[in-house]
Amino acid sequence: MSTILKLENICYGYIDGGFKREILKNLSYEFEEGTFYTILGPSGSGKTTLLSIMAGLDKQESGKVYFDGEDVDKIGLYKYRRNKVGVVFQSYNLINYLTGLENILLAMTETDNKLPGNKSELAYALLEMVGITKTKADRMINKLSGGEQQRVAIARAIASNVDLIFADEPTGNLDTETEKEIIKLFQMLAQQYGKTIIAVTHSNEVSNLSDHRVFLNQGKLTDL
Amino acid sequence: MNALNRAWKYITRRPTKSVLLMITFFLIGNLVILGLGISQAAENAKVLTRKQMRAAVSYEVDYEKFWDYINTLTDEDEINNAYNNYPRINKETAEALTQDSRVKAFNFTQTAIGYSLGFDHVPVGNEDTKNTDYGSYIDENGVAHEYREPDIMIYGTQYPNMIEIADETYTITSGRFINQDDIDSASPHVCITEEMADVNNLRVGDTIAFSYNDLNYIDSLVQESGGEVSADDFREEYEIVGIFNNKNQVDPNSENFRWMSPYESPQNILVVPMSAYVESMLKMTTTEQKLHPEYYTDFDEEEYRRSMTEPSRIIYLLNDPLEVEDFVRDHQADLGEYLKLNANNETFKKLARPLDTLSFFSNVIVWIVIINAVVIISLVTALTLKTREYEIGVMLSLGVSKVKIVLQLFAELFLIALLSFTLASASGSMLAGRVGDMVLDYQTASEAEYSDLNNEGNYYWYGDNNYFTNVTQEDLLSQYEVKVSPVLIAEIYVIGTLVVMISIIIPSFMIMRLNPKQILLEQN
Repeated sequence: MSTILKLENICYGYIDGGFKREILKNLSYEFEEGTFYTILGPSGSGKTTLLSIMAGLDKQESGKVYFDGEDVDKIGLYKYRRNKVGVVFQSYNLINYLTGLENILLAMTETDNKLPGNKSELAYALLEMVGITKTKADRMINKLSGGEQQRVAIARAIASNVDLIFADEPTGNLDTETEKEIIKLFQMLAQQYGKTIIAVTHSNEVSNLSDHRVFLNQGKLTDL
Repeated sequence: MNALNRAWKYITRRPTKSVLLMITFFLIGNLVILGLGISQAAENAKVLTRKQMRAAVSYEVDYEKFWDYINTLTDEDEINNAYNNYPRINKETAEALTQDSRVKAFNFTQTAIGYSLGFDHVPVGNEDTKNTDYGSYIDENGVAHEYREPDIMIYGTQYPNMIEIADETYTITSGRFINQDDIDSASPHVCITEEMADVNNLRVGDTIAFSYNDLNYIDSLVQESGGEVSADDFREEYEIVGIFNNKNQVDPNSENFRWMSPYESPQNILVVPMSAYVESMLKMTTTEQKLHPEYYTDFDEEEYRRSMTEPSRIIYLLNDPLEVEDFVRDHQADLGEYLKLNANNETFKKLARPLDTLSFFSNVIVWIVIINAVVIISLVTALTLKTREYEIGVMLSLGVSKVKIVLQLFAELFLIALLSFTLASASGSMLAGRVGDMVLDYQTASEAEYSDLNNEGNYYWYGDNNYFTNVTQEDLLSQYEVKVSPVLIAEIYVIGTLVVMISIIIPSFMIMRLNPKQILLEQN
């Protein structure tokens, strides 16, 4: 398996009460494609910050992020987010005046990646794949349950035909039963479709079901 | 799911905010239409009235200014010197003005009244009621002579391109008009009216005779001279080269019809070359000089010719009445002191004062409304943007560019504005019509209270012919009509688009500062 994402000497910190607090210190790591990773770590260890940097939502102070061997800075953060990665958030982050289908179409319209066939049909198929029926797909987002919204968010993350999906506490707002279904979805995406999933989580249930567990502490990543 | 599509979904699925914005835009639209409609109607009324007026401009001495100057002088010699060097029309300047492409025709004419010899003038129509006793005079030999009323008007023209020909007041029905050859060679050629030809059975090629003096007076001079001069010395013979139809007719309802002399009738006009006219005048003066050389000790023939051809006023007819103001403005500086181009604009401006006031305040209202609209829409958009930060953060996380997000915001406002302004076009036109009429009525009543508009509204007669058009304030105001024209609607949409564009500037800066990580972390 080849490396899809490579972190090289990543540093990140912020000023707190006049002192600089370093969150990530010369962090280096390589993520393989088609693997479901979970990143664990104590609160305040910088898990979400690391995920933001990897997802192109924030910029590291120093160091390099390489996607498929290409420097993310050179790709450009907007283009990177649009064409290379998908993100799933704890609170789903769907646009609430759009239907489930329209949320998917939004991502599909923005990406420069080639998508096979008719966009609407593809969006319905993706939603079907994550367990959202056509009837529910045409409902406004606030008419769906939390689990259904998270499924839509996962479908949106893969809608632009990307290979790398980040998830920030993806099951944090869900009950145990739904949590299991979402984990199954991630496993399916990694195993059947060769997607790389990197999820930040506190949940041992989630991390136990992932292919690879990584621990973030003192600004460094270590394999568990 | 492009920006326009998202914008449409947002405004239809967030109806409360959309309706509030729509009401705001609707009110703004109505006020802008009100202001622009009234202002445009006022401007249109002025333009339409101006178009109805003759595009005449007179190059003349500014006597008012000259008298003002005289009044500032205290020294007797200075005053006399000023009088002796009174302002005169500059012939070169006058001719240069004729070269302006806006000039259609021009009148540089000298006129004189005369007496027909051997042919009849065209009756005016007041002969039955008019008192024809003009009194008499007694000559040096004690013989009484009755005065004879002059019955023809002779126009000497310096140029063939007369206004009356250009604007078809005179239409040649037989022969031709006076041409440049006639003028250059001082040919005794004349053009007469159809009516005069009919009354006397005259045709092109016939000869007519007239005199600038009463025959009785001429007889007395001949007798007085003891044979030195004859009646022929005062007789002018001209060959008819053209017969024309004069659209101007005697108005039996006019105030002076009852007293009108035949020479005042448009049918008794004779047009001759000015050079021939000057030669006739010179001949007459030379004859009188023979009788009374003591009166003509300093007589200089050339100086006499020069003074006779010196215009006191030249009228230019322009192609377009709307070009009059520009023409005056462009040439005023070249005229010289105490000379002016008079387009009779002052009167028109006085008449248009209520419309100008209306137009001014309407424009002020439009500007106030537009500025307020920008401020209100900017604030509303900026304030509601706070509630949409989450949505913007999501879009940024999906890689949607900030420009596209601003574009969506613009599209939302634009669609609402488009709908509101379309509704406002209907209601605004009714509103503008009623409010405009009310304000205009009030304004006209106020103006009438302080000035005698009717007197100011009448254009004066100058010399023997009035080239300006008489208009009254009623004429002007009758053209005032508030209409929502396609141009006005287009203007409303342009203004609406500009308001939306300007209103979006501050929110755009706010969007540019947004960071997706911060927004989404706050949410989570």
